[in-house]
Amino acid sequence: MRRFLASIFALGTLTAACHAARAADTLSPLHFQSQGPLGTIDKAAAQRGYRVFESVCAGCHAVGQVHYRDLEALGLTPDQAAGEAVAAGGNLGSPLKGAAPMNMGGAIPPDLSSIAAQRHGGARYIYDFLTGFAPAPAGTTLLPGHYYNTAFPGGETAMPPVLRDNAVTYADGTPATSAQEAADLAEFLTWTADPNLDARHQIGFRAIIFFAFLAIIAIASKRRVWSAQI
Amino acid sequence: MTTHVKDSWMSTRLPCLGGICATYFQKNRAANAPYFAALPFLIAMAAAFLTLSGAVLAVYYNPWHAFDSVQFIDRNVNNGWLIRTYHATGTTMIFGVTYLYLFRSLLRRAYRAPGEFVWMLSVKLLAVLMLTGWLGYVLTGGAAGYWSLFNAANAALSMGGLPGAVGLWFFGGPAGGDTLARLEVFHALLAVALLLVVWLLHASRRAIAAPVASGKGVAFYPYYLAQYFAALAVFALVFVVLAFYAPHLGTSHMNQLPAESLAVPLGGGVPWYLAPAAGMLGVFPGSGLSIVAAIAAIVVLYALPWLDRSGRAGRCGKLYGFFTWVLALDVIGLGYAANSSSGAAPTLAGVFTAWYFFHFLVLTPVVTAMEAE
Repeated sequence: MRRFLASIFALGTLTAACHAARAADTLSPLHFQSQGPLGTIDKAAAQRGYRVFESVCAGCHAVGQVHYRDLEALGLTPDQAAGEAVAAGGNLGSPLKGAAPMNMGGAIPPDLSSIAAQRHGGARYIYDFLTGFAPAPAGTTLLPGHYYNTAFPGGETAMPPVLRDNAVTYADGTPATSAQEAADLAEFLTWTADPNLDARHQIGFRAIIFFAFLAIIAIASKRRVWSAQI
Repeated sequence: MTTHVKDSWMSTRLPCLGGICATYFQKNRAANAPYFAALPFLIAMAAAFLTLSGAVLAVYYNPWHAFDSVQFIDRNVNNGWLIRTYHATGTTMIFGVTYLYLFRSLLRRAYRAPGEFVWMLSVKLLAVLMLTGWLGYVLTGGAAGYWSLFNAANAALSMGGLPGAVGLWFFGGPAGGDTLARLEVFHALLAVALLLVVWLLHASRRAIAAPVASGKGVAFYPYYLAQYFAALAVFALVFVVLAFYAPHLGTSHMNQLPAESLAVPLGGGVPWYLAPAAGMLGVFPGSGLSIVAAIAAIVVLYALPWLDRSGRAGRCGKLYGFFTWVLALDVIGLGYAANSSSGAAPTLAGVFTAWYFFHFLVLTPVVTAMEAE
């Protein structure tokens, strides 16, 4: 019992330590704060990811299930969120729409709202895909208007490589390498796919502690009741 | 509440309620019972929980914009994501305890007289549960669910005569909002049917419970209440672990994609609790044979009390127990084969399906008759 409690407290301390020691560097090694059972959305990374989305991705893709008002959950003030909305020609209640659907060599750019849930591998896949553009191996004939990508199933995608170093300027001074942009975007899209991730993990942690104790008490009580039978 | 029901205020005004209460105080239950005997109670609790969470979802669900309305529940309804997680994980839990309960019945051979009726109700429970679960999976409006519905509805509509007419009445059409609107009603009606079957199961189990010698029994209160509460607490613990840390356990990311009538998703997208059945249906070419196979798979389960030749007093042999474990692995294998993209999967699914029928139609009569001697 004591060992059980000690392990729970150790887990709690560990979580707290992780939060305190969180380095701004998410690339070496590559990790996403949102992953794992106790993960939370890295708001700084997700805000940077939003910047990449609105500067680069929104040229073709929408995040139609997310509204500008929802960005406040990433730490933007209502005024900042409204500013983003007005700059995009909408208001706080408008969805993050991209340009009108276009035909990219027979493919229509998908809505990215739930892309992290729709693709096997989630955030890691998004990062691998965005950094996976490479020259096609010798002997490979690509479809017209297609690009070779090591992470994409089948190897060729209609999406061109769009992330470049310094494609955006980060307000927090993080160097905007293309790998950094891809990682930040992956964190942002993890949030858009699962905006309740933080709350889910937090409630879950408390609920598990509650029901673990309830189960122990209920089993002890059952044993006591049954041992008292005539 | 008083044990002297005849004198109580309520029992003079509503005698049947007093009678129900009284059963919980009669010392007519066995003085020892394993925790696993509480599985039907857990099934009942999970069914009630699913009905309640489903009622909340039904308020916001819109069959004509199925996928978007589920997204709306997840993102814009206050705590909607929580209710939807409860409903999805509750489904995993009810199938988990039902499969466990059926397996325990097989292992203990509880289907033999006088338990045939209880067993038949258990198989009905599984059938109703699978149909309800499949409808719920289809109602999400995901790509995998859409194509599952499309294939099933077309199979039903292509049949002639009475089966085709029933199919048309049930589905209304191949897929789309109008079909989903019907299926939403059937999903809710089947939930009520499920509660009814669970209640009948409970009543029939009580009816065949071994009589307890007078003075040796215990009452439901407090003995079984304490046991059921402990079982429920552990059940709830497993539930919250899954609900908050693995909300998509055993479901395909294919079903996170919106339904698209011009794009067939690659690979199987069946949730784990339907996968064994899907694996079996996938083995047979053409919709007609698949439907026959689905009915046959249920019928052999249903006929188990008569396929088992050991008779009422026959002892439980070790060999048949071993084959029951093999059957469990066989069904799990079918589930894996259904969602596997490996080239060997169709062959394996065929072998597993053949073994399923071989187990019930050949092994069961032969081995039980052999062991009964």
